Amino acid sequence: MSSILARGAIRDAMVDCLGRHDGRKAVVGAESLGYGELAGRVDDAADWLCAVLPGDEAGRRSRKHLGFCLGNRVEYVILYFAALYAGDLPLLLDANFNTGEIEAIRSDCGLDALLIEPSKAAKIEVPGKGDPIPFADEVVLLPLSQVAPPRFEPRVSTEVCRFTSGTTGRPKCLEFSGHAVVSAAKNWILGTGMRGEDRTLCLAALSNGLAFNTSLLSSFLAGGELHFLKGAPLTRPVARWIEELGITRLVAFPTLYRNFVAPGGPDRAAMASLEHAISAGAPLWPDVREEFRVRYGLDISDYYGIAETGPCTFERDARHHSGLGVPLPGAEIRIAPGPGDPGTGEILVRTASMASGYLNHPGLFEGRLDADGFYHSGDRGRLVDGRLHLVGRTEDHINVAGRKIDPTEVVAVVSALPGVADAVAFPDEDLNREVLVHLAVVAGSADLTRAAVAEACRSRLAPYKVPGRISFVPEIPRTGIGKPRIAVLREQLNASRKESPS
Amino acid sequence: MSEDDLSAMKKRVARLVYIAAGGKIDEKDLERPDTDLREIGLDSLGYLNLLEGLERTFGVSIDLDQEEDHSFLHTIDNIVCYVTAHRGAPA
Repeated sequence: MSSILARGAIRDAMVDCLGRHDGRKAVVGAESLGYGELAGRVDDAADWLCAVLPGDEAGRRSRKHLGFCLGNRVEYVILYFAALYAGDLPLLLDANFNTGEIEAIRSDCGLDALLIEPSKAAKIEVPGKGDPIPFADEVVLLPLSQVAPPRFEPRVSTEVCRFTSGTTGRPKCLEFSGHAVVSAAKNWILGTGMRGEDRTLCLAALSNGLAFNTSLLSSFLAGGELHFLKGAPLTRPVARWIEELGITRLVAFPTLYRNFVAPGGPDRAAMASLEHAISAGAPLWPDVREEFRVRYGLDISDYYGIAETGPCTFERDARHHSGLGVPLPGAEIRIAPGPGDPGTGEILVRTASMASGYLNHPGLFEGRLDADGFYHSGDRGRLVDGRLHLVGRTEDHINVAGRKIDPTEVVAVVSALPGVADAVAFPDEDLNREVLVHLAVVAGSADLTRAAVAEACRSRLAPYKVPGRISFVPEIPRTGIGKPRIAVLREQLNASRKESPS
Repeated sequence: MSEDDLSAMKKRVARLVYIAAGGKIDEKDLERPDTDLREIGLDSLGYLNLLEGLERTFGVSIDLDQEEDHSFLHTIDNIVCYVTAHRGAPA
């Protein structure tokens, strides 16, 4: 048993469920651990963290900020709970974050170490980088000595931090109390009917709100099994895993479901054990949902959640095929009156799993709460018979595979490039109907090339933020106050594409 | 494999790459079979689609965890070599 005595709502909930479900299987990936084994491994890892990141000579150990920059795996679960047991603060980074984003997080929030794959650790170039300390075959702890004090200190109540896209390459750090995280997990269990018999295959990244709230803690609190696929999420290995291990819940993203229903997709028999197929991160195409139902006899449940509030809705009733379901326990939804159709307006949300605020943008989150504590989501929708229907967004974020991108971040990178006179980024679709960032550039110099613009983006932005399409235009149409007129720009680009179809 | 077969295979793979990328890649960039696909914009989602396409078109299942070196996916030439060596029953 670990000598660590740190307290916290998540740690307390985990200690309780590890004890209650001893003897059952808990997590399955490259290795398989029962609840008792997981408890032992978490304890050992907490001791290991305290040994490799010790306190001062007097034995006082401050709370370490640990950046999780890892793909899904069993070690992620062990180290996440170990960090909480050790009294440290896990900051769940997108595994695709590059050096610039990691450096920004360290400067704003403080990072004492990264938990990362060895090959990626070698590529990170930040001052004060120490020698990697192996934890497992594919996981190392990369110590980072603090070159300057962080600009912001987290709240005492904060137990976990996650990130959303920010402007100018600085991801916004969301602080969550342990109570909020435990509430999200418990309400997900209640609202979706999760049971101890459930085996959840989680294909969405654990740093993402979808996976974090639907899988990481909720599976264990329910006494179920959490599974991670080894390898790329291709349909045949996924179907094989579902069939061989009797998966009851699949947590995935729209692209995977589209690949399932494409010609040559897996047979219905392989999916027989599946009771819930959950999609989130980006809107699911209606024809994919319908084809999946026809082929596999199962509805894909859409779920609506917001990074800042946690899960909001879920559809459990198989007779309903439209909308995003009803509010989960602990979640309340209001529609703010606005222009256009009566009953349609901005979606306001209040949940028991709300973030406490943005660590590195004080006041920004609080500014989006109304007098009753409802969060202004930026999404437009309506409630029909208690079910939420999404109709669009009131804001300019670009949602690429569930990751929200602030277009000003992309524009800021490009505008710093010599020869760029003006630029704007906006959402567009590729031939597979995936959302992409479309960047329109006005060249102020004949020397500016598409390759130079693409290279600037690739070197400064995480891969998912890099524009999938770059267009050179003579001018960006703007309103009298300088706001880009995206609809007009789209018409111009479409017209020029028709003129030169090559 | 004859020169004609090889040329046809490269065209099929180039088409798969184009579709996998959702049309974001300029087809002219795919005419040079040694172009690094990562540098012309084939992202992780595009690679996921490409692996699905290779499996369904050529019957080649690729387990990335079993392959230490992933450079066989970096160019059309390399993909063609890999598929030729590992090809199962054509779909």
